[in-house]
Amino acid sequence: MEATRGTRSRVMQSIQPLLGLVIIYLIFVVLSSTFRTFDTAKTILTQAVILGTLAAGPTIVLISGGLDLSIGSLFCLVAVCTGRMLIAGIPVGLVVLISLVVGAACGAFNGAIIVGTGIPAFIGTLGMMKTFRGLAEILGMNQDMSRFPESFQMIGKGYLIPISIMAVTFLLVYIFLSRTKIGFNCYAIGGSNEVSRLAGVPVKKYYIIYYTIGGLVAAISAIIIVARLNFTNSAFGVGMELNAIAATIIGGTSLSGGVGGIGRTVIGVLIITTLNAGLSHLGVSSSWQQISIGVVIILAVWLDVIQRRREAKA
Amino acid sequence: MRIHTRIVLVVLALLCVSGLLFAGAGKESGEAAEGKITIAYTGYPGGLTAFWAQMAQYMKEEAEAMGVELLDMSPTTADAAVQKDSVDNAINRGVDGIIIGAVDNRAFGESLDRAAEKGIPVVAVDTAIDHPHISALAQTDNLASARVLGQYIVDTTETGTVIILGGTLGHQTGDARRDGVKQVLEANGYKVVFRACNWDVPTALETATNELAANPGTVAVFGCWDPGALAGLAAVKQRGLMDKVKVYGFDGLPDALMSIKDGELTATIKQDNKEMARVTIRSLVSQINGQESVKKLLIDGFVIDKSNIDQHM
Repeated sequence: MEATRGTRSRVMQSIQPLLGLVIIYLIFVVLSSTFRTFDTAKTILTQAVILGTLAAGPTIVLISGGLDLSIGSLFCLVAVCTGRMLIAGIPVGLVVLISLVVGAACGAFNGAIIVGTGIPAFIGTLGMMKTFRGLAEILGMNQDMSRFPESFQMIGKGYLIPISIMAVTFLLVYIFLSRTKIGFNCYAIGGSNEVSRLAGVPVKKYYIIYYTIGGLVAAISAIIIVARLNFTNSAFGVGMELNAIAATIIGGTSLSGGVGGIGRTVIGVLIITTLNAGLSHLGVSSSWQQISIGVVIILAVWLDVIQRRREAKA
Repeated sequence: MRIHTRIVLVVLALLCVSGLLFAGAGKESGEAAEGKITIAYTGYPGGLTAFWAQMAQYMKEEAEAMGVELLDMSPTTADAAVQKDSVDNAINRGVDGIIIGAVDNRAFGESLDRAAEKGIPVVAVDTAIDHPHISALAQTDNLASARVLGQYIVDTTETGTVIILGGTLGHQTGDARRDGVKQVLEANGYKVVFRACNWDVPTALETATNELAANPGTVAVFGCWDPGALAGLAAVKQRGLMDKVKVYGFDGLPDALMSIKDGELTATIKQDNKEMARVTIRSLVSQINGQESVKKLLIDGFVIDKSNIDQHM
């Protein structure tokens, strides 16, 4: 009986954000005739690409009980590196490959700093946030990084390619979390770091892997935005880390670790982009859009708190 | 708490949030009245610089005067990707026309292609956007005005090093202001040190502080936008160089004018953003109505200094 109740509770926990998304979508469908078009749906998905791909990283890191405040700056650093390489005339394929390596290396460095020094992830990644931003400013200083080759712009153009890249990223992260030993252990480590260590899980090594993947997906997101906008500079990505963490939390991944999944993050990202697009269709200003997302974050975490209290009582 | 109670709670909470938001948005939340022209405006965030806060206000006033509905879809952060999204949302919403005051002029290619496909006219204000679908532009003649300021600096400052605190590199407006001043100064034997500050005041303050230390022969600081110039002024004050280094701005914003009145900022170029808003709205409405319209209006900026400050306060 208790097991059934627990399973039902977990299922409901997963369904709540989806239910929220459906309700928000339906509200806009009812209130705005221009919202209920195929173009709008395609636009929402396209607008979700940058945030969605970026948020895949914090999903893994948060589930493992970590936190990464540096991904916005890491995103910027990769964007600037990509721009510099493109204006230097390096072939597009090589630029993409090097950018991905830079992202993964920065992520690995993040993880190594945290496990190597033992400082809290909040402090470690806060320091790296400043470091990556500074590096991006040095690399981007006095550089006009724009007007890139058409073959590079194709990565971010239209609907099909960016959405496909996002979908493949989500699929790979899903496979990693649910079908691999390292991914599966992410939940165990997030649930209890100490118990996992005593059970023989190489926690430190796995942490570095989680942060490396976080850096890698941030690099994918950065490459797409540079291709989409056809320019870059060292002001990119300011506040993006908080948007990505917000999307992850709204989807139902817990800040306390051990609970979450990429499917939930997809829903969280779609809630944010649907709110922004829908409120724009209703002529609501950007400031009110910010407030709405703030309210939804509080609601999502409040539900998480209720759920945890309930589980603790049971 | 029982599960079905929680579901009801979630639904109610979301409905309440939506209701509050729509109520809070007031008149903005309604869709366009039948038959009334609806224009979307997305400018540089007004919360970041008074120039753009004024611009949004002037746009609203002119739209009201013309009897058209104006949707202010400006982003709250200087994020080109978010502004591009707002243009896409305006296109999907089916507005009659769009005005862009670009965070960065290079970001809109694909969105403007879509606007062209849908037959939605798009005009630019303040910053030129290099795309064939941009059907009109109203801006200060940045290059010519910057040359005027360059000559003014030559006339009022002894020869030496001039630090230019710029916008974002590759941004049409910022580049034109840099080039105009730089050309005149270099032709007159000045050394120019240019640093891009991404239109960011803290960056301008930090850059000015560092460059003043690195260039002891500095005789002037020029900020390509007034808030940047005021950041430069703060750095000059901090280093105790007020009697040696003059500071110049560009925009003609209230804070800069007050500073000129107080004898701190030497001069600024006044941009007529009210005229820009007026011409932009009128041009777009004419196009929507199928009439001839102004395609390009370059407005001359002029120097405001201690001698004429009282006429402009």
